[in-house]
Amino acid sequence: MSPDPRVGLLLSIADDELVMGHRLSEWTGWVPYVEEDLAMSSIAQDEIGHARALYEIAAAIDGRTPDELALGRAMPDYTHAVICERPNRDYAYTAARHYLYDTADSERLEALTASTFKELAEAVRVLRIEERYHLDHARAWFRRLASGPVEARQRYADALAGALPEAMALFEPLPDEEALLADETLPLSNSTMLSAWLERVGGDLEDVGLERVLEAGDEASVGEVLPTSSGTSEVVETTGKPLRVPELDRRDGRWVHVGGFSGAGGRSGTHSEDFAPLWEEMTALHRAHPGARW
Amino acid sequence: MNEIETAVRDALAHVKDPEIPVCTITQLGLVERVEVTDEAVDVTLLPTFVGCPALEEIRVDAERAVADAAPGRHVTVRFTLEVPWTTDRITEEGREALRTFGIAPPLLQIKLPCPNCGSLDTTLEAPFGPTPCRTIRYCNACRNPFEGFKTKKEH
Repeated sequence: MSPDPRVGLLLSIADDELVMGHRLSEWTGWVPYVEEDLAMSSIAQDEIGHARALYEIAAAIDGRTPDELALGRAMPDYTHAVICERPNRDYAYTAARHYLYDTADSERLEALTASTFKELAEAVRVLRIEERYHLDHARAWFRRLASGPVEARQRYADALAGALPEAMALFEPLPDEEALLADETLPLSNSTMLSAWLERVGGDLEDVGLERVLEAGDEASVGEVLPTSSGTSEVVETTGKPLRVPELDRRDGRWVHVGGFSGAGGRSGTHSEDFAPLWEEMTALHRAHPGARW
Repeated sequence: MNEIETAVRDALAHVKDPEIPVCTITQLGLVERVEVTDEAVDVTLLPTFVGCPALEEIRVDAERAVADAAPGRHVTVRFTLEVPWTTDRITEEGREALRTFGIAPPLLQIKLPCPNCGSLDTTLEAPFGPTPCRTIRYCNACRNPFEGFKTKKEH
């Protein structure tokens, strides 16, 4: 590991983008219709390109090549958040994670435009312009699926509830966060960014009447979603026990993070069983033919 | 501008975008800087899209063209993210070349005129197309699908 905290910051974001891009690329050829297939493939290509740009900045400090950083590290040296490595499951989960990831990424990029680390601030300014297309895409699916029909709304709400706790861990503090904050390489702490993101996501969910997503537990159903006479839907609780995301609480009309993360440890290299097969595939060529070019 | 710099810029003005072979990288506004010294030529380019798979090919093509134009000097061509590339950088010639290729040049308006018949009665079919920089559109007048260049703006 490089002792420069800036490398740690760059790798955490680049790893998120690379692993997300790898997962999205698995949809190529399999999406239910061609326009969406192009969207997934295109977004995957963008994310991997963004990862490359960040690995290049890190490589200039660290001494390893961008390819070595992207594909030549051992599994515990990757510091992406665990949510990025989760399999795509169905389109509901893919769309839910896409919305949660891209809104979180946009908080982070927004903050980093003010970084005192010049190369990073410059790169982020460019990446943000491209990420806007991803955000529009994620939000279009959010609106479409959240407004029904009822099965779509149900599955999307369940997927959001399942993904949300791990999405919060995108804002797990970095091991060197204090040093990064001290010289404003990182202008806002992860906990500040998490609060801003929760406010945004909470607002979006309230707008479509799905705030119950924030109250549901990990892997749990948000309850049955029923259509109302007004054509929208509401959620009714169907389980006897109260469901709650353990790390969230509603105080003074706002959702706040009260500590702890599901899927914690991603930022220090602790991953789930889902990462091993992804890593095997992603790094296979690099391991078999070191230095391969095309 | 000295003679060598003029020769280098001329050479760059002949390097084509491999994915839109009617456009040169100069027309697309990729050339950010040309620095010439007695020993070296350094060219700095901007990527249209950061994940564009054609970047390395463009870089190698540009390096070869510049080396021919400035023999004896050490040539370096690199991409930078110092400044965001935006679609405002595409020249009038570049926009015309895109149109003849069947790609509607970027505009801030939502309705892009059809590159085939010029009608404004067009719709955005898909915001993502065959390359990161293109969208898929449809002309309701001549009933042809066409591609549009993605508009890229800072705000």
